[in-house]
Amino acid sequence: MVKYIVRRLVLAIPVLLGLSFLVFAFIHLLPGDPAVSLLGQHATPDRVATIRELLGLNKPLYVQYLDYLAQLLHGDLGKSVINNRPVLEEFLRRFPGTIELTIAALVIATGIGIPLGRLAARHVQGWIDGAATVVSLLGISIPIFVLGYTLQYFISVQLKLLPTSGRIDPRIGFELSTNFLLVDTLLAGDLDAFVDALRHLVLPAIALGSIPLAIISRITRASVLDVTNEDYVRTARAKGLTERRVDSRHIMRNAWLPVATVVGLQVGGLLAGAVITETVFAWNGVGRWVVEAIQDHDYFVVQSVILIFALIFLVVNLVVDVVYAFLNPRIRYT
Amino acid sequence: MLRVRAGTLLAILALIITACQPSGATQAPATSGAPATSGASPSEASAPASQPASPSEAGQPVEGGTLVVGLPGDMVVADPTLVSDSNSSYIMLNVIEGLLGVKPGTVGELIPVLAEDLPTVSDDGLTYTFKLRQGIKFHDGTDFNADAVVANYERQKNAPEELRDAYNYYFGAVFGWAEDSNLASVTAVDESTVEFKLNAPQSNFLIAQAPLPQFGIQSPAALEAGDADNPDPAKSPYAQGQGGTGKSMVGTGPFMYKEWVPNDHVTIVKNPDYWNPDGAAHLDEAIFKPYPDQAAELNALQAGDIDLAQTIAPNDIAALESDPAFQVIDRGESCNYGGLQFNQTHPPLDNLKIRQAIAYAVNKPAYIEAFYAGLAEPADNWMPPATEFYKALGLPTYDPDQAKALIAESGLSGDALKIQFWYPSDVARPYMPDPKGLAEAIASDLEAVGFTIEFQTAGWRTGYLQDEALGKYPMWLLGWTCDWAAPDNFLVTAFFHFLGNDPNPEFAYGPPELKAAFDKGLSATTDEEAKAAWEEAQDILARDLPTVPLVHSKPPAAASADVKDFLGAGNLNEPLYTVWLDR
Repeated sequence: MVKYIVRRLVLAIPVLLGLSFLVFAFIHLLPGDPAVSLLGQHATPDRVATIRELLGLNKPLYVQYLDYLAQLLHGDLGKSVINNRPVLEEFLRRFPGTIELTIAALVIATGIGIPLGRLAARHVQGWIDGAATVVSLLGISIPIFVLGYTLQYFISVQLKLLPTSGRIDPRIGFELSTNFLLVDTLLAGDLDAFVDALRHLVLPAIALGSIPLAIISRITRASVLDVTNEDYVRTARAKGLTERRVDSRHIMRNAWLPVATVVGLQVGGLLAGAVITETVFAWNGVGRWVVEAIQDHDYFVVQSVILIFALIFLVVNLVVDVVYAFLNPRIRYT
Repeated sequence: MLRVRAGTLLAILALIITACQPSGATQAPATSGAPATSGASPSEASAPASQPASPSEAGQPVEGGTLVVGLPGDMVVADPTLVSDSNSSYIMLNVIEGLLGVKPGTVGELIPVLAEDLPTVSDDGLTYTFKLRQGIKFHDGTDFNADAVVANYERQKNAPEELRDAYNYYFGAVFGWAEDSNLASVTAVDESTVEFKLNAPQSNFLIAQAPLPQFGIQSPAALEAGDADNPDPAKSPYAQGQGGTGKSMVGTGPFMYKEWVPNDHVTIVKNPDYWNPDGAAHLDEAIFKPYPDQAAELNALQAGDIDLAQTIAPNDIAALESDPAFQVIDRGESCNYGGLQFNQTHPPLDNLKIRQAIAYAVNKPAYIEAFYAGLAEPADNWMPPATEFYKALGLPTYDPDQAKALIAESGLSGDALKIQFWYPSDVARPYMPDPKGLAEAIASDLEAVGFTIEFQTAGWRTGYLQDEALGKYPMWLLGWTCDWAAPDNFLVTAFFHFLGNDPNPEFAYGPPELKAAFDKGLSATTDEEAKAAWEEAQDILARDLPTVPLVHSKPPAAASADVKDFLGAGNLNEPLYTVWLDR
């Protein structure tokens, strides 16, 4: 098992290297220039030239790429072109926001998606199944930003139940320490602030969780249905086992595998979806930062953050593969 | 087991949704106030040093409260000298004061702020002497005096090279750097007198500095303590806004800096010891939140998450005006310009008759109705009417027949009338809230008189600004929001500046007489001289019609109805000390 994990991690290196090259090429091929982003309409050719030289952008591209790789090997993710802040520092400051949002979305997606799928499978062809299908279809087909605005409009503007945007009401004046707001507020014992942070989390988490929820509920339904028709399930029932025991020991045990795979894959989707969700909900996280960085041609930010995202994705998928072994003892890695 | 988990989750969700609202913080805006129509009129504006703010119709100002303002973007760094964006400036102008300022509610009326009066100027236009107010303290408790003024100007003039242009834009643009600077010296004659010496007369010396917090005076002690001149602003606690009041953004204004959570909010608090009782803040606190998305910002305003949206789309005005809980704020005089730009290396735009034909073909009032919700005026100049030395030029107005006649006179037809037309794909600017819509409307007017339009588009920062500046586009949409309300900022800085004696490649236009007029205007030592030169420049532009002015817009703001006495201004110089909350 350990050997397997190590091998997977070693294999990740060429993947990340290739990706670093692709991202570098992509962001440098985009028309525009960080110097123009800095100066906006105040850009004049000589000012642009000065700044390009200052930022080392007048070096040949391959030199810039090799410099970047050398930097990476030293653990230096570079600095923002726009405000000179080290990328890693800024990433760590913003990532907790994205983690909180992603976990909340995942909780909603699995917490609602899996029971919904199981329910639909149990009542296959019935009205519950139909309703679940409609929910999934809507979840998949409504773009995140449309859902986001709609939720804001009905839940916040019309019903005034929840706030529209941000992570916490700045009027509360709560001071952050770890940037994990839910943790910070609890550690500080500030229940009002905790509830406020939680209230801010609900709408973006629903918007971000909608697509994975739909996918997970469909996969769960299909997977449960597959297993339900197996001989051993019939045998189990014939043995006189309680429906509850059949469900947990015989059906779900085997139905979990595809569901786990999909949940793992959805983590990548959630990181991508966070880009939109964070923008719509003025959420202070990494996703919104990347959008702004791409617009600004903030080369090092885009390159390094995408690499970090890729690394996270690789690790999550590795974790999913390892979890397989626990879900299904027949799977062994050597 | 799973069923239990799902049930728990639903219960938690329900709990969150119905949880009691945190003490009043997110409550809906009160709807009791009268349906306020617009911000107080400019005439009600109060200069910090002159008369007190007139109480509005709604009654005496109420002291206290927190105002949450939605901005299009975040502050960049906390040192005003190192920013050139409107979001940072919008926050800082409440905290940092300069020797002079612009009267709130106007775009160009100069008032003394930290100076006792407007300066005396020597006859040769080279020496400006300011008498300073005495007894003023910075937010860190140190004294404001002549030495502080000298330290601030010296600091900027000799900024580390890494900070020039990339961060510090305005000082370089107005004066130039170090030994190349037109600012020869700044000296403290005594405790409360400062003398500025220039190498050559510079007619924009006062008006360029007055509206910009970039020329504000900060506490030299705090700058020093916060390592503000570190060539790497990320390493300067001052620039990063660390440490709170008295450690960062330390000025003399009615509000003091409190905190900055990057990408989340900036908080400023009332300065209880403000030197000018008539300009003291009513609010306890103002919080600025960045909204990268305009629709989300509007939702936030309507839900009560913010009290004031600094910028809203003209299309959203109707919805807000019909709701008594909100007010749309009129920005008074415009301080911008939106136009149809031409590059004369691309035929047929090198042909004056063709440019005139285009000017007659565009229906400016129709665009203003369709895309600006009426909040703009048709442009008759390259600078807005409130600009110093503005002159009505009588430029062509909508007359398709005249346009057709001019095309016929030009002798061009068929493919020769084909024009490539660019617009930015991904932005709304104050002077063009809907570039695509505007471009399509213009194109249909141009095609109606015989042109053939080929559309092209590019991202604002991903190619557009760069390529248009290099003269790659034949015809495109662009405009300018004033840095200061003087002709040089529009005519020279924004558009027709020269590179040496050559026209810049953006428009490939610039006859020698225009350069001569610019030079005369920039170096004028009297108002009469400046007026004559700038009027000549405007006449030359009207004669040659290098581009077609379209609009001067007043980008709208909106606020909850209980936000009182907010003074909108076309240059976004909107200090919040006048504002109070009727709740």
